[in-house]
Amino acid sequence: MPDDVRGVGASLLRKEDERHLHGRGQFVADVKLPGTIDVAFVRSPHAHARIRSILVPPEARGRVFTTADLPRVKPIRVTSHSTGAKSPPWPPLATDKVRYVGEAIAACIAPSRGEAEDLAAAVAVDFEVLEPVVDPVRDMRGSRYPVHENWGDNLYIEHVLAGGDIEVAARAAEVTVTRDFRMQRQSGAPLECRGVLAYRDHRLDEVVLYASTQTPHTLRVALAEILDLEERRIRVVAPDVGGGFGPKARLYPEEIILAALALQLDHPVRWIEDRDEHLLTAAHTRDHHYKVTAYADRQGRILGIDAEIVVDAGAYGLWPQGPYHEAGMVARALPGPYTIPNYRAKHYTVATNKTPLGPYRGVGRPGACFVIERLVDEIARAVGREPNEVRAANLVRPEQMPFTTVGGMRLDSGNYAESVRLCAELLDMPAIRLRKQRGEPDGRQIGVGFATFAEQTAHGAAEFAARGAAIIPGFESCTARILTDGSVVLMVGIQSHGQGLETALSQVAAEELGIDAARISVRHGDTESTAFGFGTFASRSMVMSGGAVARASRILRDKLCRIGAHLLQCDVADVRCADGMVSGPQGSVTIAEMAKVAHLRMDGLPQGVDPLLDATATYEPAISTGVYSYATHGAVVAVDPETGFVELLDYAVAEDCGTMVNPMLVEGQIRGGVVQGIGTALYEEIPYDEAGQPLVGTLADYLLPGAAEMPAIKIGHLHTPTPHTEYGMKGMGEGGAVAPPAAIANAVRDALSGLGAEVNETPITPRRVIAAIRKARAAASKT
Amino acid sequence: MTAVRFQINGVAIADDVPPRLSLADFLRERRNLTGTHLGCEHGVCGACTVLVDGEPTRSCLMLAVACDERDITTIEGFAGDRVIETLRRNFHRHHALQCGYCTPAMLITARDLIRRRRAGSEREIRDGLAGNICRCTGYTNIVTAIAATAEDIARETPNA
Repeated sequence: MPDDVRGVGASLLRKEDERHLHGRGQFVADVKLPGTIDVAFVRSPHAHARIRSILVPPEARGRVFTTADLPRVKPIRVTSHSTGAKSPPWPPLATDKVRYVGEAIAACIAPSRGEAEDLAAAVAVDFEVLEPVVDPVRDMRGSRYPVHENWGDNLYIEHVLAGGDIEVAARAAEVTVTRDFRMQRQSGAPLECRGVLAYRDHRLDEVVLYASTQTPHTLRVALAEILDLEERRIRVVAPDVGGGFGPKARLYPEEIILAALALQLDHPVRWIEDRDEHLLTAAHTRDHHYKVTAYADRQGRILGIDAEIVVDAGAYGLWPQGPYHEAGMVARALPGPYTIPNYRAKHYTVATNKTPLGPYRGVGRPGACFVIERLVDEIARAVGREPNEVRAANLVRPEQMPFTTVGGMRLDSGNYAESVRLCAELLDMPAIRLRKQRGEPDGRQIGVGFATFAEQTAHGAAEFAARGAAIIPGFESCTARILTDGSVVLMVGIQSHGQGLETALSQVAAEELGIDAARISVRHGDTESTAFGFGTFASRSMVMSGGAVARASRILRDKLCRIGAHLLQCDVADVRCADGMVSGPQGSVTIAEMAKVAHLRMDGLPQGVDPLLDATATYEPAISTGVYSYATHGAVVAVDPETGFVELLDYAVAEDCGTMVNPMLVEGQIRGGVVQGIGTALYEEIPYDEAGQPLVGTLADYLLPGAAEMPAIKIGHLHTPTPHTEYGMKGMGEGGAVAPPAAIANAVRDALSGLGAEVNETPITPRRVIAAIRKARAAASKT
Repeated sequence: MTAVRFQINGVAIADDVPPRLSLADFLRERRNLTGTHLGCEHGVCGACTVLVDGEPTRSCLMLAVACDERDITTIEGFAGDRVIETLRRNFHRHHALQCGYCTPAMLITARDLIRRRRAGSEREIRDGLAGNICRCTGYTNIVTAIAATAEDIARETPNA
């Protein structure tokens, strides 16, 4: 790529780096306001209990706030239009009952966090402890004490997604593979925990909330509704956000309480979540149970999939989308990018006395991919073929595009089988086979595994409406403004927290306006300076916000051409806007000169052209069901059958996200996603005991992937621009995290094939590997 | 309250601190040195790493009172430091940061690895970063940036 290309397609280095490299980023906890008082919460130590009383020591009165002290605060309530969906009210501070360990009961204020915690410890809550609901499979139809007593059962929603006729597949099957699968509960665990700083701006008559959030605009919508305040009196700012990954795209009780406290008290209040609180109370993710049967013919052609999916969704639904989407996404994604004709998925979203479940990079897809890709490998084993041969034989072919899967995903473009071939090439299969044959001197077993998936990205309004959502993320917005000197500010409704959108969006405007990206600023994350937008999640920002930037920039470009043609005294049809100027047959005029005219020298404007260079545009792709990136991941592992330890030796990704605006950023997103997916595959887990107590509380027991265990990740690209978006780009932020559990589980299975052992539960810990080997040995000794 | 005196980024500081105040909170809340980040407050994630008497130290586990008479350097205090400046250049060039939360501590840890000559191979660098968690990058580019810096520094000082 030549150095002077700075528009779409350039690996432009990031604008964001300078501040962070000097420790000058500004995260919520870095914002300092005089007189700020810290907040700590009294939280439930029980999974399920009635609150008999809350006793505040007399000396703490006025510094401890319960629901009774905050009359403005109403319960959080998610609206869903899905048939049969139940939606419990969620008081931001528990009133008569607590439903998970960590649920907030009271807010305590003090000059330092330490003193606020002292205060919280002095509040005595009298509980009547109830038997908790911890097993969603057992208790979905009812329990002695349902999570929400007036329901009768513990089901948020149940649904059947079906296509074709599964009975036909069952009758025709020559090969049947049945398995249970499990993906454990996780935390999104951004390195920066959540945080809120709230204060009242009397001059502007508004409450200002600095929050570590991915969605400042929708957070304002929620606060206005719950606090019964006009939106004009609320400003939400997401400053630098230290990672989000999904959990920060939801409304939390703490944000409501901090805003309510700021309205009631005459000083700023802040709550900076610590890691213990984060692991306990920020959205948990995944937590799927599966029972699945695959039907195939003798060649490994998949005839049908029959699945039961149970999602353990915790005690409440997080606003705005509630608990419903995880299982729904699993059900739709489970058939993968395969031409499977018959499908049935019964899925259940179950309320339990655990932390509410929310989105995390991939939303449902990592589990779906894990299940279908493990099944593909088992079918291959059953019919005696190479897994990738069976994979390729079942994958959708380019000439079938657009292709709607039996799960209802409309794949728009690409050559999926080619990604399988490219991924195998990146891993150097002949060398792996040789190493496998030779054997390891230390007795470890080598295995290789693959997984292919399609990633629905940038889905729009119709798609979310079809899911029964009450708030349907569709468009994104951009206000593009050229200032009097020709420099540019883009004000966008999304929020960037590591993705590099300050850089990538400026590249889009540079492409359209011919202005150097270095002269373009991107403002985001502030409801004050940006038009409404939904925020960054669902692999949508580059497609949606990039599209809005392109459209707003083109409006300005057209205006520049009109002004330029006038100044050059030629016809507008004869000018072009490029390289920071408008050029006609007889000469050119710079954007800076035209900007001056548009603001400071209106006498130079043509008749009928208004002053200002300021345009607001929105964008949603022409297709609302999303555009589909896809990839094949490959993993090479060494498994120690004595200790059960899995070492990742190599990892490769062959992917296609259409046109890449900034290939460097794309690869950064892929590698980051893969390592999070490796965390799902091998390390991360929040187990609960029978009393509903979570058994992790620190990063010493909740294991995040570290540099030492990770391989360098190889990447190969395919390029199939989608016809449905600006420039042909597809979203790709989540995909990296989707396939690692599947690819690694297949690799472990391959490594243990001689022993006949397989692990169908993530994380694939040494304990689970040893258990699988023992089980296989016991089964072998019986026969 | 306990009286403490120390050097922070080359400046002599005297203050009275509560015994339970961590060094990290002291730096962030009292000195406004907010480049020191808190990711776990129990010594695992490494985001709060600063130098105490030249040694990389978890400022979340160290109490301010324990720093009496000691020399503390935070990310704000490396002006003119050749290794940090080379690291910054290479982190930028190799896209070794995303959200930026782990970055200041990554730089301080990487500088220490390079100065101790523990950045000679990918394996060595990865092991040396075991105490610093990054949730965004997947580490590949961080390792590349540190390796490039080690090479740059070695090239500039062949006899050192």
